[in-house]
Amino acid sequence: MSDSETKRISRRDFLRLAGASATAVAATAVGAVTAPEAKAAPAAKAPKWESKLSVCDMCFNRCGLIARVERGVITKLDPNPKFTKSRGMLCARGNAGVAQVYDPDRVKTPLLRVGKRGEGKWKAISWDEAIELTATKMKDIAAKYTRCGMLFSAGADMQSGFVNRFAEAFGSFNVTSHESLCLLSGNRAFLDTFGDVPLPDVKNSKYVILAGANRLEALVTPDSMDLISIMGNGAKVVVLDPRYTKSAALASEWYPIQPGTDMAFMLALANVIISEKLYDAKYMAERTSGLDKLAAHVADMTPEWAEKQTGIPAADIRRMARELAAAAPASMVYPGRRTSDYENSTQIRRSFAIVNALLGNYDRPGGLVPARPAGLKKVAFEPPWYDDSPPGRVDAKSVPLLFDDEGSFVLTREAVIKGAPYPIKGWFVYKTNPMATAPERRKTREMIDQLDFMVVVDIAMSDTAWMADLVLPAPSAMERQDPVQALQSGAEGACLVWRDPVIPPLYESRPVFDILKALAGKLGLAEFFDFDIPAYRLKQLAAFPEAAEIIKRDGVFYPPNPPLGGTDGAPFKTPSQKIELYCSRYAEMGLDPLPVYQPPKTTPDAARKFRLVVGRSACITQGSSTNNALLSEFEPENMLWLNEDAAKELGVRQGDVVQVESPAGKGELKALVTPKIRRDTVYMLSGFGSISGGLSHTKGVGASIVELMESRFDSICGNSAIHETFLSVKKKGAA
Amino acid sequence: MSTQKLAMVIDSAKCIDCKGCVAACKQANGVSRGVWRNWIKEAVPPLVNASDGSKKLGHGHFQPGACMHCDEPTCIQACPTGATYKSASDGTVVIDPRLCIGCGNCIKACPYGARFRDPVKRIADKCNYCPERRAAGLAPACVDTCPTKARVFGDINDPNSDAAKLLAANQGKVVRVIAKGKDTKPNMYYIASTAPDGWAVQPVDPLSFDFLAGVVAPAVKWAVGLSGLGVLAMLGRQLFVGAGTHGSGGAHGTDDKPNGGKPSDDKPNTEKKEEGGHA
Repeated sequence: MSDSETKRISRRDFLRLAGASATAVAATAVGAVTAPEAKAAPAAKAPKWESKLSVCDMCFNRCGLIARVERGVITKLDPNPKFTKSRGMLCARGNAGVAQVYDPDRVKTPLLRVGKRGEGKWKAISWDEAIELTATKMKDIAAKYTRCGMLFSAGADMQSGFVNRFAEAFGSFNVTSHESLCLLSGNRAFLDTFGDVPLPDVKNSKYVILAGANRLEALVTPDSMDLISIMGNGAKVVVLDPRYTKSAALASEWYPIQPGTDMAFMLALANVIISEKLYDAKYMAERTSGLDKLAAHVADMTPEWAEKQTGIPAADIRRMARELAAAAPASMVYPGRRTSDYENSTQIRRSFAIVNALLGNYDRPGGLVPARPAGLKKVAFEPPWYDDSPPGRVDAKSVPLLFDDEGSFVLTREAVIKGAPYPIKGWFVYKTNPMATAPERRKTREMIDQLDFMVVVDIAMSDTAWMADLVLPAPSAMERQDPVQALQSGAEGACLVWRDPVIPPLYESRPVFDILKALAGKLGLAEFFDFDIPAYRLKQLAAFPEAAEIIKRDGVFYPPNPPLGGTDGAPFKTPSQKIELYCSRYAEMGLDPLPVYQPPKTTPDAARKFRLVVGRSACITQGSSTNNALLSEFEPENMLWLNEDAAKELGVRQGDVVQVESPAGKGELKALVTPKIRRDTVYMLSGFGSISGGLSHTKGVGASIVELMESRFDSICGNSAIHETFLSVKKKGAA
Repeated sequence: MSTQKLAMVIDSAKCIDCKGCVAACKQANGVSRGVWRNWIKEAVPPLVNASDGSKKLGHGHFQPGACMHCDEPTCIQACPTGATYKSASDGTVVIDPRLCIGCGNCIKACPYGARFRDPVKRIADKCNYCPERRAAGLAPACVDTCPTKARVFGDINDPNSDAAKLLAANQGKVVRVIAKGKDTKPNMYYIASTAPDGWAVQPVDPLSFDFLAGVVAPAVKWAVGLSGLGVLAMLGRQLFVGAGTHGSGGAHGTDDKPNGGKPSDDKPNTEKKEEGGHA
């Protein structure tokens, strides 16, 4: 029953109804039952648990938590109320952290591959053998192919910094993380506009446009919670999404935008704000460069023009531009996190950045704020020099503006397959899973086939671990001691957290720091790991002598947070020292200095009618949690969201198994026939269709996004572009 | 000692359907796989007119719920052994696991589908507002973990409790979900905009003629309701009944599926009741 159909009853009806129901109770009770009698319930006893502070590891947010430990077993994880970044919450995944610790699918001992690659035949070996083998292989590869012949990939983790440190000490430039499969396009765009990657201060905002971000499902703390609280206080949140997500359902307004046309919407907002002079002229003159060029660029990009591109009514676009400007500077186009969508995603996100610049919201409450000072000291070292090193990363110069410290996984993979510009023959992987996150899985497989040695350190037998020569068991976050990490929380400032073990490591697991330290010892690099984690933390916290005690007591330390506006008058870190509406660096490099709109590519093949979009829910963080016993109750499989009219045309009914295919691969999964998605778009959750025999809940369940996605990439920064694939969909068994 | 009245006041407009409360409950209470002590229901969004005249889906709404710890609970009347009773000290509806024979009567008697038969213990189970956590000075797991603090818990007889304060602040705007014509006086209060409201079902009273005719031979139907024979009959029935059946308003666990969560298709027998504040 919909809201609008709800029948409200008056006070008088309420009384009448109460009388009627009392009569009904009396009638059924005749001769049998008397009114329920209250009894004294036995007093419940408080659990005999120890409460230990830690930090969640079920996604990248790192929410503070309190582990309840009974007789050495974690029985519950609760939110740490002193950790304000998460607004005192722990989501479904956080609660399922217990199931992760005690997951029977955990890797329990070092495992050496004895069958063919990917065949799943393993032999348990000792840690001594495992370290010796890894060190020997690394030495051999370095001798034969230079030290850059080793590739290091670490996911989001509080110990990942040690993997990068090791790679640098070992002498390889080739380091990738998950970020080039996720957020680099957005970072590139904001960096090239503001000279900085600012954070949204949702809490103080009065108007937020969420485009390409499903923030009420893909939770980011504190933004997700703050969106709800500000709407309760009258702020407006507008969602543009081809799908009726939970964010769309709860937003003030939702528009099922044509995928790939966000830039047209943003340029039309700019058109209205500029043509109606809704900006702060003094601010724009003092703090931005290129307004005249931008004005000329967007002169024809009216809301009427954008309506044809986006499908959003022109009147609404015009109104939103005025509302945004009226609420400025406490208004924003939300920058978003995952921006690995299109080949021109950097330029799309540039258009987001430009609208924010027009709102004058930089370093203002409710706008975009520069990262707040965390005061964490780097534990620096002098990396050794190796004469035989190649000039740079294997993917260097493959795109104009690669992030040198992140690279591009898709382009690195291409280079490994080709063996050019130089061969990479070894791969050290920590807690990242490109076999489940990098587009076109068969290419990742092809890359792995080029390798002489691949070692994966992880808690579970991920699809990537399944392909390795050696798998090393990592402890869960609850079993570890971790260095200090700074977390950002909008205008509220940074906070510092660490982890101490809540329980001792299970099985034979060893933290990656210990593994790297042992390898460093074998490889003559001991001097770069001549510390333990407590000593490292002390160095990190050198600026705050009181912090260690406070983190021990509260689970979190808040460094001093200067008020917003501290950057006023200071130059921006761009060539013009201003916010670059017109990007002078792009002009010099022959790139479009202003975002040039190109309509999204249409399907190249009449049979492949549907654009694939992917995402996650509040219950899973991709493949790292879909195999979790508790979370699999919420998301047991992924289904293909298919518009109900499109389904009718295809003869597909609710729950039918459909076959989907792209030039990259194919899959089978059940159809979820729904009005909640556009006719031209299909959607799948990530993290399913696994191939690893070590994942009992997800192996062969549903379809894999990376089996279907083509390996496209952002032409400016090399970030993957995972919404550029069209699928054919047919009912299984249909001709 | 003054008597408590523990209740939940829910601002369902804040609920983002993240399942944090459901996961927290399962972990805190060791709830078996496939059954749920609490839930989030999803209203079917209406079709609305876009400004260009086209139709699109309008506002959605998610609604957290669980056992409502009613003041006039139909489940207590349905229990043949006295295993289900109302706590004199805090008003919660309690199941004594030592007395429960797993007959399932209370499951059908609950209009809200709040009860289920635990497939492992084979006795009735439902939300108990986490008494062990309360004894430790903590909120129930679902309340503690909620990202947007949609669930608020407390003793509404204590005007200083969070729940009582929220009720007072929303005086005249609070509703309860009940089955039409059967007001069990639930202690689950929703801020008035809540949806869906079409999901409570008519409670089945085990002493009604129809119900008895459906389970035991007509010759013993009266005896069943009145004597220890009834207990034996119900015990016998337990041995034949499949495990893990949720009540008819239940199957809450599947409500999150994007299109599968149809809140019981506009059943005409449910309504929202306005509260004129509370006593």
